[in-house]
Amino acid sequence: MSVEDSYEWLDYRTRQRFWDVVEGPMVVHLVLAVSVFIVLAPILWEVLTSLKTDEAVYNLRVIPQNPTFSSYYNVLIEQDYWRAMVNSIIISTTTTTIVLTLAVPAGYAFSRFRFPFDTALFIGVLFSRLFPPIGLIIPYYRIMSSLNLLNTLPGVIIAQVYLWLPLMVYIMRNFFISIPQELDESARVDGCTHLQAFRHVVLPLARPGLAACGILTFLYSWREFLFSLIVTRTLAAQPISVAVYRFVGDVSVAWASLAAACVLAIIPTVLVVLTFQRYIVSGLTAGALKQ
Amino acid sequence: MSDTTQSQDGYDTNGEQPDGNTPASDGTADEEINVRIDDLTKVYDEDGGSGVVAVEDLSIDIRRGEFLVFVGPSGCGKTTTLRTVAGLETPTEGRIWIEDEDVSDLEPRDRGVAMVFQNYALYPHMTVRENLSFPLRIRNYPSDETEERVEYTAGLLEISELLDRKPSALSGGQQQRVALGRAIVRKPSVFLMDEPLSNLDAKLRVQMRTELNEIHKRVEKTTIYVTHDQAEAMTLGDRVAVLNEGRLQQLGPPQRLYDEPVNRFVAGFIGEPPMNFMPTDVVATDGGYEARSDHFGIELTDDLAAAVDDWGGDLDALTLGIRPEDINDARLTGDSTTSANTIEAYVRLIEPMGSDKFLTVSPTAEGNHEFTARVSPDSEIREDEFTSLSVTRSKMHLFDDETGRNISI
Repeated sequence: MSVEDSYEWLDYRTRQRFWDVVEGPMVVHLVLAVSVFIVLAPILWEVLTSLKTDEAVYNLRVIPQNPTFSSYYNVLIEQDYWRAMVNSIIISTTTTTIVLTLAVPAGYAFSRFRFPFDTALFIGVLFSRLFPPIGLIIPYYRIMSSLNLLNTLPGVIIAQVYLWLPLMVYIMRNFFISIPQELDESARVDGCTHLQAFRHVVLPLARPGLAACGILTFLYSWREFLFSLIVTRTLAAQPISVAVYRFVGDVSVAWASLAAACVLAIIPTVLVVLTFQRYIVSGLTAGALKQ
Repeated sequence: MSDTTQSQDGYDTNGEQPDGNTPASDGTADEEINVRIDDLTKVYDEDGGSGVVAVEDLSIDIRRGEFLVFVGPSGCGKTTTLRTVAGLETPTEGRIWIEDEDVSDLEPRDRGVAMVFQNYALYPHMTVRENLSFPLRIRNYPSDETEERVEYTAGLLEISELLDRKPSALSGGQQQRVALGRAIVRKPSVFLMDEPLSNLDAKLRVQMRTELNEIHKRVEKTTIYVTHDQAEAMTLGDRVAVLNEGRLQQLGPPQRLYDEPVNRFVAGFIGEPPMNFMPTDVVATDGGYEARSDHFGIELTDDLAAAVDDWGGDLDALTLGIRPEDINDARLTGDSTTSANTIEAYVRLIEPMGSDKFLTVSPTAEGNHEFTARVSPDSEIREDEFTSLSVTRSKMHLFDDETGRNISI
């Protein structure tokens, strides 16, 4: 073996070792840790800030010296923030229920039946989301005003349904397409009506899609800001996303209270995601399954 | 296809068999009609406006207990026909009759049919037992009868030990059996099967084919079966309907389709390897005719000569059809080899199949107009040589180039 050969060999081994380290668990974990930190740092900052007093926020220590829940008490009880939480829960659950009730049959119809102008209708449904919603703010305000729905929960809910229904119809349609049509046909030959085939065969198989749609609608309507801001004025109808804004004053920002309000706003969504996360994953991978 | 072709199948549909050598049709002595497809036409509307004709003017009477196979290339309308009988498609024109009742406007569930789908369409969220009992449960059968029938069907198909599994835990062959069982459990009037074996591997397909035959013998139910595989059609069908481009080409017992194809399409579709078609000129000789090409001439039999006389068209416009097994090694056919039926051909390739040897031959060494011969494995013919092949003249067919019609039957 010549000297050059052995040098080549060493170099090859060195390169191999370098890549072994790069692809090894240490580097992978480092990348993961950095990613998680980038995502979690603002939330962590918010939680820590919420445990300070409004004055202590300005001394720029990361860890609060005297942790206190006084901001939470202040926000929830003294500022009546609990009413916004109740509003948000009502708005989000009602929106989710209505959207699912409409999106599931609509998505199924678009996935299975041919009828006059079916493609045009479907594009129409999607088209309503193709321009920035802010363009509809003024007409929407006028309509709600003439219906006397300004500053009411129904006024907010109608906006949320309008905002999220098209997307959910689209998702449900794609989900139903991933369920082979032979299954409903087989059920119909086996003795089902259209509706029975849907209920006994298609719907059980669509459950992951249903869950994914429900969760997405809940989360989207939970954090929606623009329409809610326009049609509400007081805590009678304001959801969390708007009510949080109250802590940003004309002259100063109540940082600790704002942070506490934000943490409170996050809690329900975290609970929903933790409870249903397996459905979210299966909903997003729908169609990858054979049969 | 031509009108003459269409008129050829007229006698087959009414159940009268003009010749006696059709054992399959003799077996179904019961002439009672179970399913009647009456002048069916199905046009699919395209977005552009003009529709696509999937099936055109199809009329077939299917006898009780008969195993009828629709066969044809993809897009020939066979699956559309089956789905129309099932009620999953609405006919554009024509009616469907089942058990003397016009079911054209009935929902699939009210037609008394059971269907096996190509991809089995098992309900993935139900166990095998629930899959089998589903058609009975949805019809509110009493639970003890449901259970009894499920057990019986599972026993019949030898899937009793799989009853509590989900379909995803079954092999392809087992899924196939469950799909079959879900059809059988209902005791329907008619079975409809849409390429049920095409998702199985080759070996399992042949095995399931035999089992299907046995099950059909046991349950004795009218079965309409769709396939693109001519071997399945030949082995399973009491009668076979060959479709092409939405039109019925020929309907009859498999052997007759094989021996007496009414046109070039049927001749080329039925049989493996397919029939050879050789462009030839038919020329009059003293007292007869000869099929002649640049490289060989074969004297026509008296029957074939008479058929040419009857036909009376342009003699140039004929194509000779010979099945590979009707071309043999002249050295092995002995005395029957004469100059009238022997051709010289260049052997390009030999494929030994064990039971036969398939020869790819052509009249010249350059390899124009290749055709296939199926000779005995004892043949000592070698590749890349000229050899003498003898043709069974009585099995030759002549096809009208213009209409495709077989003038020799």
